[in-house]
Amino acid sequence: MKTVKSPFKFKGGVHPDYNKELAREQPIEKLPMPGELVISMSQHLGAPAKCLVKAGDFVKRGQVIGEKNGFISVCVRSSADGKVVAVEKRLGPAGGKADAVILDTAAKPEGDEGNGLPILPPLDWKTASREDLLKRVEEAGICGMGGAGFPTNVKLNPPPGKRCEYLILNGAECEPYLTADYRLMLERAPRIRLGVEIMRKILGGPAVRIAIEANKPEAIAAMEKAFADIDGNVEIVVLPVLYPQGSEKHQIFATVGRVVPEPPALPIDVGCVVENVGTVAAIADAVELGEPLLERVTTVSGDAVSQPKNILAPCGTKYADLIAFCGGEKGPVAKLISGGTMMGFAVSTAEISTTKTTSGLLLLSPKRVVQYASQACINCGRCVRACPMNLNAAEIAKAVEADDIKAAEDAHVMTCIECGACSFSCPAYRPITQFCRRAKNSIRARIAAEKAKAAAAAKK
Amino acid sequence: MTIAIVCIAGIGLVAAITLAIADKYLSVKEDPRIGMVTAALPGANCGGCGFPGCDGYARALVAGTAPNGACAAGGDAVAAEVAKILGVAATATEKRVALVKCCGTRSEAIRVGDYNGICDCNVAAMTAGGDKGCTYGCLGYGACANVCPKGAISIHDGLAKVDKRLCIGCGKCVAICPKKLIELVPASATIHVLCNNPDKGPTVRKVCGVGCMGCHLCEKNSGGKEAGHFTFQGFLAKVNYDNPPTDGQIVAKCPAKCMAEDAHFESGH
Amino acid sequence: MLLVGAVLVNNFVLNRFLGCCPFLGVSKKMDTALGMSGAVVFVMTIAAAVTWCIDHWLLAPRGLGYIHTLAFILVIASLVQFIDIAMKRFLPPLHAALGIFLPLITTNCAVLGAAEINCKQGSSFGEAVFFSFAAAIGFGFALVLFSGIREKLEHADPPRCFRGIALALVTGGLLSLAFMGFSGLVKLPY
Repeated sequence: MKTVKSPFKFKGGVHPDYNKELAREQPIEKLPMPGELVISMSQHLGAPAKCLVKAGDFVKRGQVIGEKNGFISVCVRSSADGKVVAVEKRLGPAGGKADAVILDTAAKPEGDEGNGLPILPPLDWKTASREDLLKRVEEAGICGMGGAGFPTNVKLNPPPGKRCEYLILNGAECEPYLTADYRLMLERAPRIRLGVEIMRKILGGPAVRIAIEANKPEAIAAMEKAFADIDGNVEIVVLPVLYPQGSEKHQIFATVGRVVPEPPALPIDVGCVVENVGTVAAIADAVELGEPLLERVTTVSGDAVSQPKNILAPCGTKYADLIAFCGGEKGPVAKLISGGTMMGFAVSTAEISTTKTTSGLLLLSPKRVVQYASQACINCGRCVRACPMNLNAAEIAKAVEADDIKAAEDAHVMTCIECGACSFSCPAYRPITQFCRRAKNSIRARIAAEKAKAAAAAKK
Repeated sequence: MTIAIVCIAGIGLVAAITLAIADKYLSVKEDPRIGMVTAALPGANCGGCGFPGCDGYARALVAGTAPNGACAAGGDAVAAEVAKILGVAATATEKRVALVKCCGTRSEAIRVGDYNGICDCNVAAMTAGGDKGCTYGCLGYGACANVCPKGAISIHDGLAKVDKRLCIGCGKCVAICPKKLIELVPASATIHVLCNNPDKGPTVRKVCGVGCMGCHLCEKNSGGKEAGHFTFQGFLAKVNYDNPPTDGQIVAKCPAKCMAEDAHFESGH
Repeated sequence: MLLVGAVLVNNFVLNRFLGCCPFLGVSKKMDTALGMSGAVVFVMTIAAAVTWCIDHWLLAPRGLGYIHTLAFILVIASLVQFIDIAMKRFLPPLHAALGIFLPLITTNCAVLGAAEINCKQGSSFGEAVFFSFAAAIGFGFALVLFSGIREKLEHADPPRCFRGIALALVTGGLLSLAFMGFSGLVKLPY
């Protein structure tokens, strides 16, 4: 096991202020169980889970309350004991509405003490079969905890004909303010190691690359210690500090130098599987302790919160409870962001609850949020220089502004990863990322309509 | 002099013969009805029929792959003329116009955030579901106004309004609205419920001063459930346009003030 | 030398200002511009050949040089009509895209201009045909160049009074100015 410097550097990228010192030194704290949880059926990428409970039901911690709905889907388990108050549509951080189970955690059925046994039977990964391990990942409801929420059991099961040559651990955490993964690597490195061993078995023994940005030397040291005596082709790759280093495709390029082709190609097509370190730790817990994915570390930070912290909270915790645990607001809050400042979602209320993918909650004061009116493009090319996917962001933005979605599609807007580097670098404050999102949505809607039309025609 | 005339005439004759031969052997026989149908269609090229422009629809009509009467802009008159040209029976379609089912202006409906970005409803809806308290309501950033080929939609105080006189019923605004709150209704209907929020009364009241509370008074005042002038989706009243109410008084009796008679449609200009 | 002269130094549309109508009308999209250029090359070359023959063998020996404009128009018009019919049969998409601009080549002074210049210069058959071919190439070159610029201009956000053809005309003028930089590249007697 050795530590190496990243041999490849991708073109583009930007250097936002990271402001990680606000929450870096805060050890992970467990949130006392809040009185009410709002557990969404859509905490992952893919079809929302089908709700199995109704108002009035009593549920136990770890009980399946939403079953997997399709191939690209994940089951949802209750994060606490309690009584279901209601099942209704609630707003999610991205603005969509999904069914959610409102749970009153104080109410418990008579005579129920809880037996302290693990929710799922612990497995010995050394003797368990690959299929059993995969099934355990599926039962535990694990999805990508880095933000995208892709069902992990699907990712770890490459289709026939595709082999995984590299397992890459994403410990980059390039978003400003967020320190959840950093603290995880610092405090729970042995769990991550166990997760890696299990995943290596599932994937058939690929080489392992642990990618960590250079601005986290303590985390690198902790991971080096945990992985010191591991066998096989394992390396810690120190990446340059660059946003969006944490993007899947850029991780692959920075660690092993392979380029993932345009969509619909996936990383597995170049023999790589990338997983967030949080997901890896969750896999370890699911297999060894029988503990499904019920809670996660969320960084609450920003200059408008009294005490920034890294909180281990059950999925479904309302943002308001997290903020209260951090001592409440400090002064006026101009913006509440779910996630990081580059790719996070600005939300309008603290009644939204955490999901399996909520890595951060930021409270920003008016000083940090300045609104400027956007102007016409001056063709300076800064966005083109910043784009990590080598797109001509200025051309796409101008095309979308002129309502020419076809020109945007020809300029490969579907390859855009919506990282925000272009908007960040624009001196005219143009919302370029928004233009790209608009074009992508329009194109996806058109493709869906064409598919529906073709399906209807085929039926006839 | 004569030589000149003879020369020119000669050249002309040769050219004419060449063209005649070319026409006989190379020309593409096109159904003359296509030209006639294209002339009969309104020529707005709005795409409301689902075909690329009036010429595309004409070709499909002559080829028999398109139904007559799909042209909302032309309406019955055009459908009858096309039927005459093609020698088929004409089907009568009633003129439909767009209706924005929301009356929550910026003064009446609260906004929960400061939206700063592209002035387009679809993009605004992508950002936290839109900055309006009511997640079903009109955001007022003008996606419908921009796409209307006749300029019939205008935005007033954060709310879109359709001018019935200019609307041709092409349906482009219906397709583009992210909240799906524009509906094509018969032009003859005069009483409408301008709300799209099916939540309970108190929930609606929290976010909008003029939202439908589901009190059923409109139904009661127009003959009750048996008359069948209204249907209900959750706590939202919906006019049954196949059997619309005719008594304008129920508009004034609505406690939420979310109903309107036709006067609502007139645009400012 | 003829080629460089016709394409760059004395570009038909940018220096001689012949054929401005299709230049502005068809240059909105690169595909139609390319198609139109192809059509013009074809028409101009053949027109030059035919008109040269008519002038040299039919009109000049009889001293009917004064009537050649009329004769040329006849020939060019029927030639374009022929192309129209042929294109509709063999290249329908291009025909639909060019629309009314195809018969516009008839009144296109560029084609007539090339024929007239051949007359004036008293060039041989080979020279006449090659000159027309080169002129058409120059026309196409300018057209494609302009269409590329116009495609980019589509996405720009100019003031209301400049939108559409106004900005195109201004740009065309600037392009013309730029091409004047080529003068002196080749010294021609005409």
